Amino acid sequence: MTAAAENRIEEDVWIPTCCGQCYCMCGIKVRRQNGVVTEIAGNPDAPSGRGGICVKGIASSHLLYDPYRVNYPLKRTNPEKGLGVDPKFVRISWDEALDIIVEKLRECRERDPRGAYFQATTTQASEIRFGVIGFMKGFGTPNYWVSGGGLHCGNGAHFMNGIMHVAWSIIPDFAHCNYALNFGCSKGHGAGHVAVQNATQAADARFRGFKNIVFDPFQSAQASKAHEWIPIRVGTDGAMALGLVNSLLNEHGIYDAEYLMYKTNGPYLIRPWDGRYMRDKATDKPLVWDLVDKRAKVHNDDSVTRVEYEDEAHEVALTGSYNIDGVDCRPAFDLLKEHVKRYTPQYVEEVTGVPAATVSRIAKEFGEAAEIGSTVTIQTSNGPKKIPKRPVATHFFRGTQGHVNSGWTCLSVDMVNHIVGAADTYGAAFGLGAAVGSGYEATGKPYQIPYPCPDGLLVAKTWVYDHVPYPMRVPKPPTRLDLHDMFPTSIYNAFVITSPRWEEILERFEIPYKPDVMINFGSNSVMTMGNAEAVTENFLKKFNFIFSFQLYVTEFEEAVADIVLPDACFLERYTPAVSFPSTFSHPQGEDDWGWSIRQPVVEPLYERRDFNVVMLDICRRLGIHGRYYKGLNDSIGIRYGGEMDEKYRLVEDGSVEHSWEDICDRLLKDRFGEEHGLEHVRKKGVFTWPKKKEDVYWKWFNPSRVPIYFEYFIDSGEQISKLWDQYGGKDFFDLDWSRFKALADWYPCPSHTETSPEYDMFAFYWRAVMHCNSMTQQNPYLDECSQEDPYVYAIQIHKDTAAEKGIADGDNIWLENPQGHRVRGWVALTDGIEPHHVAVAAVAGHWGNYMPIAKGKGTFFNDLVEMDLPHTDPLTFNQDICCRVKIYKADR
Amino acid sequence: MNPKANGQLQTEWSWWIAAYLFLGGIGGGAYAIAAVNWFLGESASASTAVGLWIGFPALLIGSVFLLVDLGTPRRAVLAGMKPGTSWIARGFWIITAFMVLALLHLILHAFTAVGQTASGRMILSVVGAAGIVCAVGTMAYTGILLGASKGIPFWRTGAVPVVFVISALVTGHFTIMLIAPFYRGVTAEAVQTMSLEAAALVVLEVLAILFFLQAAFKTPDPRESALRILRKRSFVIGYFILGLAVPFVTMLIVYRSVASTELSSYVPIAAGAALLGLVGGLILRQSVLVCGALPTLNIAGFEFRRIARPKDPKPGIGMLPPQ
Amino acid sequence: MNRTQPISAGQPSLSGLRMPRYGMVIDLKRCYGCYACVMACKVKNHTPPGVFWSRILKGEAGTFPNVVRQALPVLCMQCDEPSCLEVCPTGATVKLDNGIVIVEKDKCMGCKYCMMACPYGARYSVDEWESYFPDGLPLSPYEEFAKQAWEDKSGVGVATKCDFCRDRIAEGRDPACVEACPAKARTFGDLDDPDSEVSILIKRYRGEVLNPEFGNKPKVYYLAPR
Ligand SMILES: Nc1nc2c(c(=O)[nH]1)N[C@H]1C(S)=C(S)[C@@H](COP(=O)(O)OP(=O)(O)OC[C@H]3O[C@@H](n4cnc5c(=O)[nH]c(N)nc54)[C@H](O)[C@@H]3O)O[C@H]1N2
Ligand SMILES: Nc1nc2c(c(=O)[nH]1)N[C@H]1C(S)=C(S)[C@@H](COP(=O)(O)OP(=O)(O)OC[C@H]3O[C@@H](n4cnc5c(=O)[nH]c(N)nc54)[C@H](O)[C@@H]3O)O[C@H]1N2
Ligand code: SF4
Ligand code: SF4
Ligand code: SF4
Ligand code: SF4
Ligand code: SF4
Ligand SMILES: [Mo]
Repeated sequence: MTAAAENRIEEDVWIPTCCGQCYCMCGIKVRRQNGVVTEIAGNPDAPSGRGGICVKGIASSHLLYDPYRVNYPLKRTNPEKGLGVDPKFVRISWDEALDIIVEKLRECRERDPRGAYFQATTTQASEIRFGVIGFMKGFGTPNYWVSGGGLHCGNGAHFMNGIMHVAWSIIPDFAHCNYALNFGCSKGHGAGHVAVQNATQAADARFRGFKNIVFDPFQSAQASKAHEWIPIRVGTDGAMALGLVNSLLNEHGIYDAEYLMYKTNGPYLIRPWDGRYMRDKATDKPLVWDLVDKRAKVHNDDSVTRVEYEDEAHEVALTGSYNIDGVDCRPAFDLLKEHVKRYTPQYVEEVTGVPAATVSRIAKEFGEAAEIGSTVTIQTSNGPKKIPKRPVATHFFRGTQGHVNSGWTCLSVDMVNHIVGAADTYGAAFGLGAAVGSGYEATGKPYQIPYPCPDGLLVAKTWVYDHVPYPMRVPKPPTRLDLHDMFPTSIYNAFVITSPRWEEILERFEIPYKPDVMINFGSNSVMTMGNAEAVTENFLKKFNFIFSFQLYVTEFEEAVADIVLPDACFLERYTPAVSFPSTFSHPQGEDDWGWSIRQPVVEPLYERRDFNVVMLDICRRLGIHGRYYKGLNDSIGIRYGGEMDEKYRLVEDGSVEHSWEDICDRLLKDRFGEEHGLEHVRKKGVFTWPKKKEDVYWKWFNPSRVPIYFEYFIDSGEQISKLWDQYGGKDFFDLDWSRFKALADWYPCPSHTETSPEYDMFAFYWRAVMHCNSMTQQNPYLDECSQEDPYVYAIQIHKDTAAEKGIADGDNIWLENPQGHRVRGWVALTDGIEPHHVAVAAVAGHWGNYMPIAKGKGTFFNDLVEMDLPHTDPLTFNQDICCRVKIYKADR
Repeated sequence: MNPKANGQLQTEWSWWIAAYLFLGGIGGGAYAIAAVNWFLGESASASTAVGLWIGFPALLIGSVFLLVDLGTPRRAVLAGMKPGTSWIARGFWIITAFMVLALLHLILHAFTAVGQTASGRMILSVVGAAGIVCAVGTMAYTGILLGASKGIPFWRTGAVPVVFVISALVTGHFTIMLIAPFYRGVTAEAVQTMSLEAAALVVLEVLAILFFLQAAFKTPDPRESALRILRKRSFVIGYFILGLAVPFVTMLIVYRSVASTELSSYVPIAAGAALLGLVGGLILRQSVLVCGALPTLNIAGFEFRRIARPKDPKPGIGMLPPQ
Repeated sequence: MNRTQPISAGQPSLSGLRMPRYGMVIDLKRCYGCYACVMACKVKNHTPPGVFWSRILKGEAGTFPNVVRQALPVLCMQCDEPSCLEVCPTGATVKLDNGIVIVEKDKCMGCKYCMMACPYGARYSVDEWESYFPDGLPLSPYEEFAKQAWEDKSGVGVATKCDFCRDRIAEGRDPACVEACPAKARTFGDLDDPDSEVSILIKRYRGEVLNPEFGNKPKVYYLAPR
């Protein structure tokens, strides 16, 4: 820099905080020169990121200063709502805005507080856990959801990974894994979870010779870096995984008997007539068959349990038939082994398009790479211990689970790990975010060691919701607007709330109130869920009043918001807990624990105000702040690993008004001691402490088992269907109860059963590294980068397919689904896609008038996503995001 | 059209530089023709008289175009700093020298009686000889400048200077023909000769351009540029048909008929043809410039090219909200 | 695991006598085309629209299903025989003793001849500073800063290019693109020091330069993608 330039710089500081362009929330440091944010880099002190950062994070200064940000409260003056309606927003003062909002909320509360509905974006997940959760509890409403989040990306996966790994997701132990099967996710390749470290770890692993086998319909970033790319038909991963399980068990005879005996319910004896566990009469505990003593024992009898690998125990039966009190029972594993026989390589080929020989080969390679029987010795806090080394893993996420077979597909893909004992041990598939931890030494928090239920199965100690994924909740008569209380296997659903008969349904299910006030924190649900018109007309327009905390006026605000509040962005606010609860933002592996915070890098500009500060204000005005504090006190226990000490609990009787900074400070002090409050943690932006090895490779240190046989699903299905029939739910939806069963299966999506030859292509979406869902297209740096890329704003089509259809590179085409919804975009021809597929990136194709850079870029895929029952997984209510389309040229 | 098709193309040099190269060519070409004619003893012929008048001003205007294209024109004085390696620096000196000589020659020839004496003729021959060297240098330089551009494989061939030199002669000649009618001394005979010369030069240019393009077709990157130039309507119609073919035929017609008709009726025809030829010459340079593309980079069996940012990405909007 | 620890960049060699000859190694096996280097360079150098000193090109080879895509990060190759320098008429382009090729903006007249001469397409020039936002709104504080920084350091109406972040390496830091790369695909250091990380990588993994036939002797080396 020239001398002249240097003279102009009076202030030049780097402030540590956390990125908020996606939910990975990497630790960053932000350079402020003369009060202006000028540069953003990774924070080497933070385990989340470890000095790394991605293209979106670096580009954030344009988010902070974008002249199109919402900077003042806005009020809708056009009473009409809907897509394409001009809201005629006018600027109002904060006082006026809050007066209106508080008035509406007060009225709502008088009618029925449950009429309030909180919608939030997953992108700011760490903020949700305060303002949203506290408000719901304080105000008294159970209605909440994260729109496209969960619906597209979590219903199936989080539930299943919670059961199998007490974690939000799974990921290979990149540091030691040698061979991984990647199903429909970009972990380690630009998107997905803990994106930056995983990218570092995946690159290190590649360098080391790690083999990643990628199942993806197109040459995604991960496929392009893979040892082998296996093009697969969308929505068929479950069949593929069960084919691998079959091939391992019945073709190659490879499985980890030790693991299955002591760490799964594989040896649990199943009674033949109803598929339930055979239980001990005295204790009601499930039984296993001791092969040494030749008799049945309860599952946790000392003689048949091995908590640690070096423990000794009798072998138990995994196969065969055993007579107990005159009943011939078989171990669950034996049933599974027989059950998967139908997934022959030939059948798998028919369903997935992957050659039968490849299925067998991959199973064999995977089985051999698992090195079953091998061990390593690690240094635990109790000295050196031997544990199994299983350097293989399957992992999956958004692509795999976005289908009507979501739940079972997730379980099937993970099942492959459990067959070879490759779970939460050295080199294997890990739960992610880092799930198990004994806490910071001085305080023992956050404490998140899972424990076994009476049946021996794994129960999470901490979870991001109030309810853990297991034991399964008992379905209750519904009180929520989406009937969620009835459905313990799902997190959210769209088919109820976007049904044109929603109001009728609410009546039938005796919900005594109506949708009333919607509070939106950030989500652009008009674009991120599915067909925009259905979302707007059937769901959003049913609310009397909608106010939204936003950075931009998005398509959502344009269509339905009555008031838009200018939120502070992640660079302008405090958040006391970012990397905990450990979901997507905390890396797995041996690196330290790190509790990251956000802190303002600049004071909120213009009239922007932090969501969490405003929510406190609203609650004070409503006079519910005491209840709000109580809500926070209560939820912290399960979410952040341990109840708050009396000393730090927020005062619940309303006699004290806690500021947001005070709340942040208390939480930190409670977790890490009086001297480690906000002032202390601000300095590095993160509080770190060492991770114990036995917390990393926890499988053989924990007394719990995981199911490979889902006995309790049967009960759950019976309970839910009974309740459903009581209300006559059948008159609205014909739910398929047969999916509630104990053994995994694959089920086709509507895209697989479509018979019209016109709709000859499968359509799906993927994530580009420079975009996070729907917001980043407005960032001009990221927009420019996207234009540099051949595929990000394009529709990818195989060049032979295009030639057959007379479509040329750069042509403008329509994609039209069988329901008549269509979207358009320009074509990029490639060899890197399965010839019957078309691929679209991100949540693009904006049409809103207030994000001019985003407007018109890319293709709005979600208009092709139908949110009805046929496109919903009956087990988890995950959305089906693949569809059949016909493609044809658009006239310009 | 594919919105990303033009990513490899250079976009920095276009009309301004084309005009500079074009005028440099005209100046050099016209002067060279004039000076050679002078040596051939035709000091009073139209070619000589008119040609000498064109050299200096063409270069002067050309330099203005170059200046306009410079990012920082006030630093143009630095342009000659590195003649050891840079063709722009060499060009700077060649053109400067040429402009001095052309101006000197013009002054001596047109405004003084120097040419009448033997010693004067001696001086003129020295100036003329040096001028011709500089004129050829100028004409060639415009091509060598491009030929020395390592970043644009299409230009990196000896054919470009050849094409440019011939085109410089053609355009110089056409300029003379365009202005000649205003010259009192022009005769039908002179016109006839000039037409024939023009036609011959055009044939040479056609040969040169064909040679250039077929050579370009031999390697991948230049081939793409060549294909692109052949797909350019202005090149095929504007340059090849209207700028070469039509003037060629016209010149032959003029050659055959000028003696038998009134000189004045030839003027619009020949001048028109010459004008077409000139426009063609400008188009030629602009086409060669804008079809210049960066080389494809390769490593490990992959080919890498740049993608142009779609100027008009609008197609993304899906189901348009009802208006 | 601390990725940001600077390697001997910017420091004179151990003896303190020899000038380093800076170079970079990009491991294509590690690189997954994430554009972080592109953005880091943009933000560090405040480059205006259309200017990509650090750039990602994407290629595809083979036919379905045996097809693979690869990203190629490019920047100024800091050629030992820079053709850009050769053609520069004013002497604005110079090669420093440490091998870095730079443009002295006060000597550049903006003829753009160097842009035609660089076979790697590493040079950019803007005639006018442009905002990233449409509609001619007042510049944001960030853009004010960016504009000033660009004008101070690089300038309008002149040729600009990557300078290996020489201000950073003078402070002993890695170039911005190297530091930002999540895949640790980029390594910076002294090519003349046989013990430097770059020298070792080049030797051990047989680093190659891009299109050696150009004859420019680049100092950016690539390691094979598979
Ligand atoms: N076609 C397609 N559809 C998808 C996806 C996809 O990849 N492609 N992804 C799906 C998935 S997995 C998910 S999780 C959902 C995500 O769906 P959404 O949760 O709706 O996420 P975004 O689209 O990122 O929208 C985030 C919104 O929050 C605003 N925002 C960002 N930061 C802040 C902040 O700090 N404060 C406030 N108040 N607002 C903020 C942004 O302006 C933006 O409008 O979309 C789903 N839908
Ligand atoms: N850069 C970036 N990072 C992000 C986000 C973002 O938008 N951008 N969003 C964040 C969020 S909200 C989420 S949920 C995560 C999601 O992170 P991931 O789960 O990793 O999601 P995607 O990157 O969409 O990866 C899905 C891959 O699956 C492929 N695919 C699609 N359908 C199928 C299928 O049926 N079978 C198989 N085998 N493959 C299929 C797609 O081509 C794509 O390559 O990423 C988070 N991180
Ligand atoms: S991965 Fe997400 S949180 Fe991390 S730097 Fe990128 S955008 Fe920010
Ligand atoms: S890459 Fe281009 S700009 Fe850089 S030194 Fe080489 S020739 Fe010059
Ligand atoms: S643009 Fe500047 S640096 Fe480039 S050749 Fe011309 S004077 Fe030299
Ligand atoms: S070394 Fe510096 S200037 Fe060069 S590409 Fe990297 S970041 Fe940009
Ligand atoms: S930052 Fe690294 S991995 Fe990403 S594109 Fe650049 S070189 Fe490749
Ligand atoms: Mo998501």
